[in-house]
Amino acid sequence: MSDISPNMWEKLPQDEAVAVKSAPSLTYWQDARRRLWANKPAVVSIGFIILLILGAIFGPFFSPYSYSDQNLKLANIPPAFDTYAVTDGEGNTTRFFLNASNFNLYEVDASGHVLGIMRGERKDMLKKQQPFEIAGQAITLDYAKLPARILSADGTELRTSGWSWNMTYLFGTDQLGRDVLVRQLFGARISLTVAFVATLVNFFIGIFYGGIAGYMGGKTDAIMMRIVEIISTVPLTLYVVLLMVVFDSGLLSIIIAIGSVFWVDMARIVRGQILSLKQQDYVAAARTMGASTPRILTRHLLPNAIGPIIITLTMLIPSAIFIESFMSFIGLGVTPPLASWGTLTSEAVETLRAYPHQLFFPAAAISLTMFAFNFLGDGLRDALDPRFRK
Amino acid sequence: MPTYILQRLGMMLLTLWAIVTLTFFLMHAVPGGPFVSEKMLAPEIQAALNAKYGLDQPIWAQYITYLKGILTLDLGPSFKYPGVSVNKMIADGLPVTMRTGLLAVIAVVALGVPLGIIAALNRNKWPDTTVMLIATIGVAIPSYVIATVMLYVFALRLGWVPTFGLDNWRGYILPVFALSGFWVSFVARLTRSSLLETFEQDYMTTARAKGLRPGQVLFKHGLRNSLVPVVTVLGPVVANLITGSFVIEQIFALPGIGRQFVLSITNRDYTAIMGITIFYAAALMVMILIVDLLYAVLDPRIKLSEASA
Amino acid sequence: MSAPVLSVRDLKTSFFSQRGEVQAVRGVSFDVHPGEILGIVGESGSGKSITCMSILRLLKSTGRIMGGSANFDGQDLMALDQGDLRDIRGNKIGMIFQDPMTSLNPTLSVGEQVMETILRHRKATRAEARARAIELFELVRIPSAAERLKSYPHEFSGGMRQRVMIAIALACDPKLLIADEPTTALDVTIQRQILLLLKDLQKRLGMAVILITHDLGVIAEVTDRIVVMYGGLVMETGPVHDLFATPKHPYTQGLLASVPDLRDDTHRRLTPIPGSPPDMAHPPEGCPFTARCPHAMQQCQAALPPVFGEGQGARCWLHHPDAPKVAGVNEVAA
Ligand SMILES: Nc1ncnc2c1ncn2[C@@H]1O[C@H](COP(=O)(O)OP(=O)(O)OP(=O)(O)O)[C@@H](O)[C@H]1O
Ligand code: SF4
Ligand SMILES: [Mg+2]
Repeated sequence: MSDISPNMWEKLPQDEAVAVKSAPSLTYWQDARRRLWANKPAVVSIGFIILLILGAIFGPFFSPYSYSDQNLKLANIPPAFDTYAVTDGEGNTTRFFLNASNFNLYEVDASGHVLGIMRGERKDMLKKQQPFEIAGQAITLDYAKLPARILSADGTELRTSGWSWNMTYLFGTDQLGRDVLVRQLFGARISLTVAFVATLVNFFIGIFYGGIAGYMGGKTDAIMMRIVEIISTVPLTLYVVLLMVVFDSGLLSIIIAIGSVFWVDMARIVRGQILSLKQQDYVAAARTMGASTPRILTRHLLPNAIGPIIITLTMLIPSAIFIESFMSFIGLGVTPPLASWGTLTSEAVETLRAYPHQLFFPAAAISLTMFAFNFLGDGLRDALDPRFRK
Repeated sequence: MPTYILQRLGMMLLTLWAIVTLTFFLMHAVPGGPFVSEKMLAPEIQAALNAKYGLDQPIWAQYITYLKGILTLDLGPSFKYPGVSVNKMIADGLPVTMRTGLLAVIAVVALGVPLGIIAALNRNKWPDTTVMLIATIGVAIPSYVIATVMLYVFALRLGWVPTFGLDNWRGYILPVFALSGFWVSFVARLTRSSLLETFEQDYMTTARAKGLRPGQVLFKHGLRNSLVPVVTVLGPVVANLITGSFVIEQIFALPGIGRQFVLSITNRDYTAIMGITIFYAAALMVMILIVDLLYAVLDPRIKLSEASA
Repeated sequence: MSAPVLSVRDLKTSFFSQRGEVQAVRGVSFDVHPGEILGIVGESGSGKSITCMSILRLLKSTGRIMGGSANFDGQDLMALDQGDLRDIRGNKIGMIFQDPMTSLNPTLSVGEQVMETILRHRKATRAEARARAIELFELVRIPSAAERLKSYPHEFSGGMRQRVMIAIALACDPKLLIADEPTTALDVTIQRQILLLLKDLQKRLGMAVILITHDLGVIAEVTDRIVVMYGGLVMETGPVHDLFATPKHPYTQGLLASVPDLRDDTHRRLTPIPGSPPDMAHPPEGCPFTARCPHAMQQCQAALPPVFGEGQGARCWLHHPDAPKVAGVNEVAA
């Protein structure tokens, strides 16, 4: 203890001693942004949603097909296939693949472009065989026993020479020979349009309704909230169903139907926020300084209620997407040939036994989108909810 | 307490009346009228039909007639199936819908709550991660996607369960699973977060400071409090099961009310649509009342007489 | 002096979160003797509550005890297995928390909450436990005790709830009662009632009490010895009279200086010393008080001072034999 050097007993300069390291203080939005960026699933989701939006807007322009172009000759083509290769005497190779569910052969080139359906000779209905002449060789399609086989001239089974992606229809075609990829992108367009427009409509109705109820308070509030209570007794989807019965199916109808029903949550949130904010001093201060009602609403109350509102909005988008696809799935949404993820799924269900892969894309699309919006919603809630602020 | 229930019943009647009125006028707002799709109907037949169903009367008279019918629990005849009443349609579909729905509610409680507890108790360890992963999937993926994918995998591919029908208990597995999937996940997540929040409460520390065993702390002090929010979602659960049954009954070809409803919509069977909607509303309100009573049992702070004010 | 009931040595507790380690308690030592009331004072965040929670290992999930011992009844509470520790909690050591509004379970009747403690630690039938609960309610002066057993916490006022908490803590005649700011959340008039009740019960039951408080008036009135905490450390300990008469630590002096007159009821709450306490996520290497201490020296910043002095110990470099003399601290004022 006695080895403390004397100069250590000198007084510290006072200002140096008092200088306390303080962490830089962040504003609400800086803090929220920081938390959101730190949330990996939310960031990935934002990326996914941006890609989805870009794909939905611009994707169809890059496709040679439209969502309604049918090519019945090339129906139910899978997105990938096992190819057979047959070579003639001059070394020219013909490649083709077998669609095991409709027993058609399709010619393809080496890189996986589908060239067309191959014409064979008459089917032998009894032996369940169909002869083809490919690259000068007699090839037989034998579907007597499943899975179907390709037999070469000497009767031995032909082996596949490898597999390839479908370069003509990246996602394959549906039962009417329409390009699945472009229909998917159109589905995204429909789903996102419905979701965003309906959400926006709900947003305004909800803000308006909840804002008035909360701001007026008293009897008006009580009656308005009773009405909301009555409305929300019945599942909101049921109203959408009823409205769709009245309007008849179609894109506009579904937007109106969803847009006019799902505002009750928003109204409740906005009202709650406003009620709690009304108690606070700065609102009273603004009022005593003579600010008008609309001014107080837009200048003071809404900016403070914005966090919970954004959270409710991001939660509303996936439910709108879901309801739209749900309605389309049960046949009350958009009408054919328009594609939405719901109709795509229900079309895929029709061919589920023969072409289960067709279920994959719409199911994956809607699921991933729902995931993304859910993660984003969770992330935003964690980022914006003041209760989680440190 | 009895006055509270009476009050609630009064409120329910009011709500029901509002819904009856709303659906009635919505259905009568359909352009054209119910028989419009039958193009080949001769005008005189159409007039006869209109007369038969009272459509030739002014709308308010029809409305009064309909209200009277409802007061006697008569939802009127079907437009599409002559001689079949909407009551009969509902009665035919009810057993199937009730059974699958009840099983789904049981699944929600019996799976969702324990999964949530397991996750909360093992916070950030593998059981938690696993449960939360499954729950996230269950919340995000629409029920009709789950249903069709399961139909393909378990019925078509593996052949473990029938693709349709409810001839034996196996037939219930997929519909109940698809119907309850979302809410099992939701309740698991809710139970977990609610329990974790409860764990942080001061009274949980008090319970531990008393020397109570972990089981006592969890079940007596923790679970009951964290179940309060879980009970509040049971109302929405039932509502969701109703709409869920529209697709699930269609996908698995179950002869329930949901399928009947969707069928009525495609058939434009307006009286059936109205009747089933009203039936749903009434059933839901009874469920919500039950849930509210349950809620008051769980949390003594909720005074039933005050809740209605 | 008889052997201490509880003897805490070098207790260290940290919290682990995304922000990293927060060292809430950084090596706390003190003794509690039988039949005495030990006061713990210190600014908010100095680690008082965490110290007490650590003694019974009641920390929430993110907290961890990093070292030290707490000897109670010949056993080290820090080394005890969970089962044995549970036999001590609520039985030999009772605990009262700051906020009676949140410390009682809202969904159980108060009677049940008292009785379950008795049933847990005593071989008693429910009827016996009930009788004991009524006795306890009478002890803490809850009127019409028998009827109120059936009530729920929300039907009680704050003061009444704190009485219920005291009844729970006393249910099994503990040897030690830990009361963490038992009156802070209550109305001023109720505060005094509860404190006098505690003091009275302590005398009658002969237990030892650890009383955490912000209120120096309370300290002067009811405690026998004090522990002054700052930055997760004990800055000074000693008999209450010595400490009030001749505070040896600049922090204690600061605390006392902010109290003009102990008899003046209106001014006896702690008013803060200028500056703010250190961030426990990055505790300073030297004396935690350096940034706010009027006498801070180079040495203070360089190294944590040890405790100087027996009986009334102070953790301050000024009490080092080589330290320069500062009037009022290590040099008796003329
Ligand atoms: N759950 C926790 N997570 C992280 N840090 C915590 C946690 N609980 C307490 N702390 C930190 O531990 C330190 C000590 O807290 P403690 O509650 O013991 O203070 P206190 O002296 O009781 O204050 P008060 O007078 O306000 O009750 C504080 O700096 C606080 O930030
Ligand atoms: S050690 Fe130094 S800084 Fe700390 S209290 Fe003593 S004099 Fe002040
Ligand atoms: Mg404290």
